[in-house]
Amino acid sequence: MNAVVFYMIALFIAVSAVLSVTVRDIFHGAVALTMTLLGIAFLYFYLDAGFLGVIQILVYVGGIMALFVFAIMLTSKMGDHKIPQVNAQFWPGLLIAAVLCAVLLKIVVDSSWMHAQASAVITDLQTIGRSLVTGYVLPFEFISLLLLAALVGAIVIGKVRR
Amino acid sequence: MIPLGHIVMLSMFLFCVGVYGILTQRHAIRFLISVELILNAANINLVAFNKYWGTPDGLGQVFALFVIAVAAAASVVGLILVIAVYRLRKSVFIDDFNLLKW
Repeated sequence: MNAVVFYMIALFIAVSAVLSVTVRDIFHGAVALTMTLLGIAFLYFYLDAGFLGVIQILVYVGGIMALFVFAIMLTSKMGDHKIPQVNAQFWPGLLIAAVLCAVLLKIVVDSSWMHAQASAVITDLQTIGRSLVTGYVLPFEFISLLLLAALVGAIVIGKVRR
Repeated sequence: MIPLGHIVMLSMFLFCVGVYGILTQRHAIRFLISVELILNAANINLVAFNKYWGTPDGLGQVFALFVIAVAAAASVVGLILVIAVYRLRKSVFIDDFNLLKW
């Protein structure tokens, strides 16, 4: 029962991820990406990472996808059937991705942790919160600086010059 | 409970789909979608290894949180760049973004 849920979530994520890079209309691609990110949030809930699942839905599905949709609306619709959506290196690119997939699959299957089972350690919200303000407080402050820099950078780049 | 390898295989597949998208797609926003897929593949690995081999301070989930924040900043700057270049070039295809080639 437990395993079936995981394989259903995995199939959902895999199918919508493939759709998000292959469908012709970029808006449909963004919708498929939303489905992928939602599936990943379900996977976090399945892996006992409830806080990250909530953050995933808030930040990705709520925030970043709204930005993607705005960016698609602000640029022109170029899903016309006459314009090719793939560049000249389609077949080499597909080959590289397939070879990379095969090599990584071999590494995962041969690894010592392939059949590892879950440990009893459960990371709850209190643990994350305590880690963020004790051991990892420096990266935490750095992230706030980075987000401020991204905010200012986005305004400067996006400003209309006269 | 399912073995750890199967979760890593899922994230590996997502990573390869992202690499395929970056290598072959012409649309600039499709490029950013592929980057998001790759970053999420990394996050799945972090959360899965935290669940299976976790340390008591929950480092895997804390790091995944940082990755989400950095990904948000990256996609904001990436999308605003696409909009800014679209104003100059009236195109969203990466082939047409040859401003820096000489």
